[in-house]
Amino acid sequence: MSCSPFDLRDYFLEELPDPHRRLVEAHVKTCGPCREELDRLRVMGAALRSSLDEEIPQRIAFVSDKIFEPSPWRRRLAAFWNSGARLGFAGAAMLSASLLVFAFRPAPAPVTVVRTVTAPATAQATPAAASETEIQERIQAAVDKAVAAKTLEMSKQVDGLRVQMLQAAERFDYERTRLRNQVTAENYMLPAKDRAPAAAHEDGK
Amino acid sequence: MIFRAVEDADLIRQASTGAVEAYNLLVSRWEKRVYNYLLRLTGHREDALDLTQDVFLKAYQNLRKLDDPARFAPWIYRIAHNEAYSMFRKRRPETDVEEIEPESTDRGITVGGSAVFPVELSLAVASALQRLSPEQREAVVLKIYQGFKFEEMAEILNCPVSTVKSRLYTALDLLKAELAPVRVAARSGDVS
Repeated sequence: MSCSPFDLRDYFLEELPDPHRRLVEAHVKTCGPCREELDRLRVMGAALRSSLDEEIPQRIAFVSDKIFEPSPWRRRLAAFWNSGARLGFAGAAMLSASLLVFAFRPAPAPVTVVRTVTAPATAQATPAAASETEIQERIQAAVDKAVAAKTLEMSKQVDGLRVQMLQAAERFDYERTRLRNQVTAENYMLPAKDRAPAAAHEDGK
Repeated sequence: MIFRAVEDADLIRQASTGAVEAYNLLVSRWEKRVYNYLLRLTGHREDALDLTQDVFLKAYQNLRKLDDPARFAPWIYRIAHNEAYSMFRKRRPETDVEEIEPESTDRGITVGGSAVFPVELSLAVASALQRLSPEQREAVVLKIYQGFKFEEMAEILNCPVSTVKSRLYTALDLLKAELAPVRVAARSGDVS
């Protein structure tokens, strides 16, 4: 058992700080058994280090060597995915392209109208076409119904206006007659010299 | 004009932004160390080479996850450790890692280049290391051969420092008994 102030193995393995190393060295100078123990460790270390490192038989393949080089397609793909700017540009380009496609695409509405007209005429229509024809017929019927309702409503409005006009004309005739009678009565109530001639009165009405 | 070597941290920062050449330079600096660590772990050169390749490829793919470039060494050794143990599990799931025999070569040693010590000593070292458990052996490799601190070893091995110390101290005691028995130490006081 060593009487050294610190573990001789730690000293041998160079794991002691300098002050501790100096203490061990001072102790070993005066302690025979510890010196002998340290000598054994040194002999063992020298024996172990007699086994030298070997040279590597062949150099390790570098990552830049051809064997590790990806195909051009893979390189482009990797460069694309690793670049935020390129991805952003590609996204913007796709968005622009889709906007252009939708902007310049012909409107589908005229095609639908043509089908509406022709579909009922074709007797040998496919089931899909027949269903579409049926839909168009329903739409047409709904439109006709709406038009008829509107026409009826408008004719009712016209009739109402005509009745109002007739009533207004009747009221006008009534008022004219009433006023003429009133003027005639007032004329006959005046002295004879002041009475207006009936013909003149008639002309003045 | 003062030339200053480019630090690993600078290379890592550049490599994180896609500078492949910076990463290549980093590989050339670290490949030998990682290879030898894996070689001592696996005991097979081919496996160590394949694993080293996988480690650096995986490190490149995950370099952005490395928060502190100064921690590159423990980080890449952690990857290497995981890759090695993943291979052990895939190859021999029913066999304990301890049972995997190291590669033997005609040089008589598992690892090592030109021998400073006699071949017998190298054999003794290989034999002593082989007697350790895989965890103890890896602790010795990381400390003696790779020079990591206890905290870094704990990070690489994903365990507490106390566990690292325990493994290492036990391994040192075993190795000391094998490589420096008492009678040898008494006669080798001049070895430092």
